Amino acid sequence: MVWHIFKKDWKLAWVFVLVVSVVHWIDSAITYKLGLFNEDPMLEMLADAVPMLAFFASMFLIGAIVHLDSIPGVRQDWLVRPISRRDLVVEKFVFVVLMVNGPIFAAVLVQGLAHKFSFRLSLVAAMWQAAYFLFAFTLPLFSFASVTRNMTQAFILGCGCTFIILGFQTIASYLNERAHGTLLTIAWSGVGWVGETTRFALSVAAAIIILSLQYFRRKTLISRGVVVLFGLVLLATQFIPWKAAFAIEQKLSPKPGAATNVVVAFDLGLGKFRSPSGLGVSSEQGRRYNPGEHTSVYLPLQVAGTHKNAFLLTDLVEVRLIVPGGKVAFHGRGERLEFAEAALNNLAYQEIQVPASVYRDIKDQPVRAEVDYSLTLFGLRQSYSVPALGGDERMPGFGWCETKMNETETAVELRCMQPGKGPTCATLFLENEANGLRNPPRSSCHGDYSPYSGWYFGDNMAHFGANVPFRDPSALAKFPVDGPQLPQSRVVIRVYEPEDHFTRQVEIPQIKLKDWEAQ
Amino acid sequence: MILVENLWKKFGRFDALRGLSFEVPDGSAFALIGANGAGKTTTIKVLMNILEPTRGSATLLGVDSRKVSPRELAQIGYVSENQDMPSRLTVGEYVAYLRPFYSTWDRGLEASIARQLRLPLERKIGDLSHGMRMKMALMCALPYRPKLLILDEPFSGLDPLVRDEFMEGLLDQAGEMTILISSHELGEIDGVATHVAFLDEGKLLFQESMSDLTGRFREVRVTLESEAASPKQTPKEWMEIRTIGNVLTFVDTQFDENGLSERVHSQIAGVRGIESQPMALRNIFTTLARAARDGGA
Repeated sequence: MVWHIFKKDWKLAWVFVLVVSVVHWIDSAITYKLGLFNEDPMLEMLADAVPMLAFFASMFLIGAIVHLDSIPGVRQDWLVRPISRRDLVVEKFVFVVLMVNGPIFAAVLVQGLAHKFSFRLSLVAAMWQAAYFLFAFTLPLFSFASVTRNMTQAFILGCGCTFIILGFQTIASYLNERAHGTLLTIAWSGVGWVGETTRFALSVAAAIIILSLQYFRRKTLISRGVVVLFGLVLLATQFIPWKAAFAIEQKLSPKPGAATNVVVAFDLGLGKFRSPSGLGVSSEQGRRYNPGEHTSVYLPLQVAGTHKNAFLLTDLVEVRLIVPGGKVAFHGRGERLEFAEAALNNLAYQEIQVPASVYRDIKDQPVRAEVDYSLTLFGLRQSYSVPALGGDERMPGFGWCETKMNETETAVELRCMQPGKGPTCATLFLENEANGLRNPPRSSCHGDYSPYSGWYFGDNMAHFGANVPFRDPSALAKFPVDGPQLPQSRVVIRVYEPEDHFTRQVEIPQIKLKDWEAQ
Repeated sequence: MILVENLWKKFGRFDALRGLSFEVPDGSAFALIGANGAGKTTTIKVLMNILEPTRGSATLLGVDSRKVSPRELAQIGYVSENQDMPSRLTVGEYVAYLRPFYSTWDRGLEASIARQLRLPLERKIGDLSHGMRMKMALMCALPYRPKLLILDEPFSGLDPLVRDEFMEGLLDQAGEMTILISSHELGEIDGVATHVAFLDEGKLLFQESMSDLTGRFREVRVTLESEAASPKQTPKEWMEIRTIGNVLTFVDTQFDENGLSERVHSQIAGVRGIESQPMALRNIFTTLARAARDGGA
């Protein structure tokens, strides 16, 4: 009877399904029209608004489908009909998946094909997107809708849940701030997918429990309790300890042991940090936004033991400053570092932002510094190149890239698109093919080690790129490959993929912080 | 067909049903009577496994109400004044939707009921009047010839014409089926019910066959030689004893034509004449309800 109920629901909901599908397709059309450089301001504005509209429309559609034969209540006609509960829940699930996820799948697939990506790549991207949407959105909302009678009730309960989530997030952020960023470590990191996958698994478990309770036993009150309970557990997954998540990532290292020889050590020889060169953007911003709240201390480090063509990324830097007597005066996060090929086997400064009050108390004392590094060693996977000006290349195994000069004529803008999640790390530089000259490489890493790709909305295409400079407007720096050479030059993209995830601990038995404050 | 034993249903702290017990014999038309809030609808919802009882049990078609499955539902017709049906489907579409769920659905019977009830098959359910919706609910409950037909306040809000059409439709198809009908108005089930049960505040006052009930209730009028005074002691089966001038009236709840005169004379002196007359169901209901409230019955 699944198909029979399906036809009834289609009769009742086809207009709504069509409208929501059209919104998804409009979203896809906008993204397609935007191309790589997003040059149309109107389309860009729509590209921000339409996905949200599609998101909320899908949310309402799921609710509407479930409420066609709602579970809570005592007046529904279907309750007195010989309709198998199993058939009903299967039908609702199939209907929701086909009518909500189906159009998204179709939109991503068609968009991939329209961008001239292969059918296989487009299909894989569409399938991942549909699967992601199913676990992250459809299934939780389906379960939630099943504990509500109608849209009004869903809205009220939804507002209640939003209030709880916001309250929880506010408290979590406050606690994290007090713990100097050591509490919420995995979100937006390379291992963020561990938390996300845990949430998917919990959502599936919750959905099985809630839908069983609702469709087979009609225990709405208990189910609502389960919703709240699982909701809190889902929120609590933000607190998954870094070590546990990174340990999973280490187990999944593509080349375990590749980083065995990598050494990270404190190197007094480099002396005090004096110049702003090499200062991370984030730390500059940090100082701008919190003047006087923190004092930055820079510890000189040396990294050795990496192979040629390697790239090293710190995923998390955790710092403990221990005063004589063993008391931990500060436990917080250090700034992340990137060591591209050229920088490897050289020195770098580890920035630590110490709260001003702590710094005042301990700056003259000898303290022991313990720095725990969680690192990823990347190996060069492939190099690609695109003409520096007017480039439009489709590179098998990489994606589609275009180049053009920026408005101020100081850099080449490179924009690329790839089905799926895109490369994790890359370096880019300009190379003159005629004379072999190269500009210094720029690195671009987003450190996402997720084995899958997808998001709540969008095309499941990785949109990435960078500006590759060839002229310094202040004229302080001179690039080997400059403007006149651009017609003979290409942008070289070196793509790195993770080889090994590993940890190192650096211990500095005795330092005085004031000796390492930036000048 | 239906057996209810010590049934309790709580909503929070409120006891909607308080140890309800009754039995609906096969083939009967059983009326569940009670004022609004007496627990009739709750009882029916429990029977249909829409609500779970707090305590006690209800069995229908030999199955515990908690375990009523599509197999049993395929043999039960259900009509309620508060039945939510998909308002955007037409009558015809919804009937077509229901058809395959019932292996015994008779399309000929369906057509004949639709004709008899004069239902507009092409009209959307949401556009139907209350009366039309009730007739439609009846139409959706009869074509599969259910063994048990449950009607929850089916006449509520119906004008007399629609009510008659509804009753005709129902009675024409009743056949061998057992009917459980709830109503707050005894007069509505006059001529339909074979058995009756009175509910008050979740408790059963009594259950009886309609013929026994109407047979044992009589309004008795006793004319006395002098001004009447209420007798100090009267049999407990006499209710609503009143005196006006030299006339004393009461309701005899255990009427026996042969023994009435003897019983009246043994209780009251100076009797000049005795008359008795049958009571309307509505008056029986009122008498019982009043007695229940006063702790009698």
